[in-house]
Amino acid sequence: MADHRALDAILQPGGITSVFQPICAVDDGHWSIASFECLSRGPKGTNFESANVLFDYVRLKREETLVDRACIKTALSAARALPPEAHLGLNVHASTLGRDPGFIDFLRGAADTNGIAFHRLTIEVVEHAPPWDGLAFLSMLDRLRNHGARIALDDVGLGQSNFKMLLDVRPDFMKIDRYFIEHCATDANRQAVIEVVTRLAQRFGAQVVAEGVEDQATVKMLQLLGITLMQGFLFSEPVEARGVAALYETASTNRPRP
Amino acid sequence: MMNAHQQQHPRRILIVDDEDLIVMAMRKYFEGLGFLVDGAFELEEAQALLANYRYDLVIADLRLTGIGGVEGLQIVSDVHQRCANTRVVLLSAYGTPEIERESYNRGADAFLHKPKAMMEIAHVARTLLDQ
Repeated sequence: MADHRALDAILQPGGITSVFQPICAVDDGHWSIASFECLSRGPKGTNFESANVLFDYVRLKREETLVDRACIKTALSAARALPPEAHLGLNVHASTLGRDPGFIDFLRGAADTNGIAFHRLTIEVVEHAPPWDGLAFLSMLDRLRNHGARIALDDVGLGQSNFKMLLDVRPDFMKIDRYFIEHCATDANRQAVIEVVTRLAQRFGAQVVAEGVEDQATVKMLQLLGITLMQGFLFSEPVEARGVAALYETASTNRPRP
Repeated sequence: MMNAHQQQHPRRILIVDDEDLIVMAMRKYFEGLGFLVDGAFELEEAQALLANYRYDLVIADLRLTGIGGVEGLQIVSDVHQRCANTRVVLLSAYGTPEIERESYNRGADAFLHKPKAMMEIAHVARTLLDQ
């Protein structure tokens, strides 16, 4: 008999907690909060507190749909404490979008329940396990857009977030993985990759988000490369909903955390 | 006895068994010996940990899902693919000579028949880590 103890613990009420990390608009050294990425953590005191372990496990179990829904439900409920204008990025596996025909009704229900307008939502497509039903996936993206949500492609440049995905998804945001951002201030090859993605985004009419920004030298290099949206520990680590107000306060003073 | 280097850089062990009590007891025992210990109760949990952390040693039960299970063999293969320096000890109360041979073929460093005293398992672990 298959063992589902861990999955049961993850899915039980309170098993998943949500934290929020700001995506910041940087302009000439000053920054403001553009939106938040909703991130999920598994049950405290277990291996699944690490998001990487949690989602590797979920994918190995092929339970992305179930867990994506649980994460979204928790995140939108927690997001009620955020300012009503805050935009929210929700991570969803491409496989969930392709395999779960009821996803949009579920999302609308969860958003309505928590008083969150659909236009505040960005669906961040993460993909680690093809194949999925390509047509159903694309159709779901259209339906999400028609309802006012925007689409981001996560981890551009890694794994399944490749050129085909870019063409299929036509994202509003391209998120460049931290692998390319770290050390980009001193690495000409990384700069070349970022420059190419930035040009590609311009052609697609998309905005670039740089993930994993941790120091001022990186900020300066990214600005030179034409990137204004940044996310990383330099601005803030992921915080619980109750910590978001303090982030706005920090942002209003317009200086990055030391 | 741990040397100064081991005290500063404790070795990391993953223990995999579907019985909570065994994982808890082994975790406590090996933590007492100065190791950093993670525990997993099912194959996919162990695989997710192996994908994210580097272990010096994995001690896994052969059978994780009841009658006939040989998930421990999959763990041996996974470890062997990810990190050739990680040592693997398989434990089983149902080990046949064929399964034992298959374990070594896949790269296991030791195959121990249950029941085995914690002290004996620790002795094998230390011997492997000191090689």
